[in-house]
Amino acid sequence: MSNEEDREVKQREAGNRETARLWRAWRTVHELVQDRGYILSEAEVKISLEDFIHKFNSGDGNIEYASPHSSSQHFWIPELTLLPNRKSRMSFTANPSDEMVARYSNPVTARDPKPAAPDVGPIKVKFEEGDSIGIKNMRKFAQELTAESFHTGIMITSVNITPAALKIIPAVASETRIETFLEADLLVNITHHELVPKHVLLSKEEKAALLQRYRLKETQLPRIQVGDPVARYLGLRRGQVVKIIRKSETAGRYASYRFTV
Amino acid sequence: MATSQMPKSILKKTSYPATTTSKEDRDRELALYHAELIQQRKDIELEILLSTETLIDYPLATAPYDASNPSPADAKTFKDLLRPFQPSDYDALIVERNINERCGYTLCANPPRKESGGGRWRMVGKHGKGKDFRVVDKKELEKWCSEACAIRALYVRVQLSETAAWERGERGENTVKIELRDEPKSDSDTVVEGLEKLELAGDDNIKKQDTAHLALERGDRGPAARIGSVDVKILEKEIQRAPEAPSLEDQDLTERLDTMHLALEGHTTSFGCNRYRRREEEEEDTDWKL
Repeated sequence: MSNEEDREVKQREAGNRETARLWRAWRTVHELVQDRGYILSEAEVKISLEDFIHKFNSGDGNIEYASPHSSSQHFWIPELTLLPNRKSRMSFTANPSDEMVARYSNPVTARDPKPAAPDVGPIKVKFEEGDSIGIKNMRKFAQELTAESFHTGIMITSVNITPAALKIIPAVASETRIETFLEADLLVNITHHELVPKHVLLSKEEKAALLQRYRLKETQLPRIQVGDPVARYLGLRRGQVVKIIRKSETAGRYASYRFTV
Repeated sequence: MATSQMPKSILKKTSYPATTTSKEDRDRELALYHAELIQQRKDIELEILLSTETLIDYPLATAPYDASNPSPADAKTFKDLLRPFQPSDYDALIVERNINERCGYTLCANPPRKESGGGRWRMVGKHGKGKDFRVVDKKELEKWCSEACAIRALYVRVQLSETAAWERGERGENTVKIELRDEPKSDSDTVVEGLEKLELAGDDNIKKQDTAHLALERGDRGPAARIGSVDVKILEKEIQRAPEAPSLEDQDLTERLDTMHLALEGHTTSFGCNRYRRREEEEEDTDWKL
């Protein structure tokens, strides 16, 4: 094999790897959005690598599964990475399901007969391109979200965001809620790991019932941090309570509760 | 025997003046006080963030101004906005400017230098003296458009205060006076600067400074002193008789003259003397004699 051919193969493989990475992050973030309770179709969530490539490969239909050089068993995937603005097209939106709205709604109480509307709304997920993400990118994303009145935005980057840019998030918190994830963190869905127990977010009513049942103050519960990987996955907010269901050798199932701080 | 009189308490009477406010009120006040401190800090942090955002796009003025001769308006805003910055904030600004393809020095409009070729390290100062030779990270070099700009930017950096702005206190904030290596060259500006340096109403300033020093000595730092957790009033001690200078004839002084050279801040240590005294006392002690 000549040198040039060798380099070509290497480039293609690197491109394929990049494509596969993006596809995995894309799937995980879809699962994340679905697990939070937004409406997404199964087809959208369980997209196959071929469909993914087809969708984002400029749509000119030049996908060849059989390599022109080798046997039919070996197929190659066109490089997604070579396309400019590929990531700019990688964004999607979703609306909260009724169930999710109900879970976030504020209960009607004697003191508060007309509670505020639930603090949820449409979500936008965007893959941000670039070697470095600075204040400008973050500000632009925030403006985009506000202009299109998205309640939540998720920005997925391949590199770390500068500390200054992260400070934009609390600054615009009154208008829109921004979360950031690294592509590398989304390659696998951590909640599917066997050592990660099931986390279920409790609604405000359920939380009140729990505290009533055990005669607790919320601060007396065990805690979970907002920055906890699973808390980030579920988008937990300060003050919420999650029910954690573990498998138990003796009891079958064991539920514990954690208060988000 | 039962007496009608109540037994007298041996406990110390509470000498606190009866507080006019209830505990809740005081707790609330304290909580508000601390909340205010945190809010102030957040305000300053936001201000720094917004300043950084503004300074990314500097300089606003184009030719004939450049980094060695910045426009007076830009230079002034730059210096004003930079006041609450810490060196780390300034570093963040440089990074942000580089992301936006600008030289790290805020008053320079050029894009940063791009080092061609691979490798992480570069050799600098190959043609000068031996002591100038350094091996530096490529990233360090790609921050600036030129050596001169690097010097200008770092010249500003070393003038920034290491203390966080919210801890500097009212006066401290204004004392951060930033000078540029290449100040704008225009007559009107130098006149304005000269006027600024003129001490007008110096008395008032000194008074303010004294209060600040006192606050520092008390342990009140930053904006805490402004709200004032402790209300301190300073009263002049009234002197009845005319002051007299001490003289050697003074009885008191002559007595002390022997040991005066041993005195440390007015206190004479009686380390050795004590032992002698004790021995003398022991000899005098006759209690054990039958």
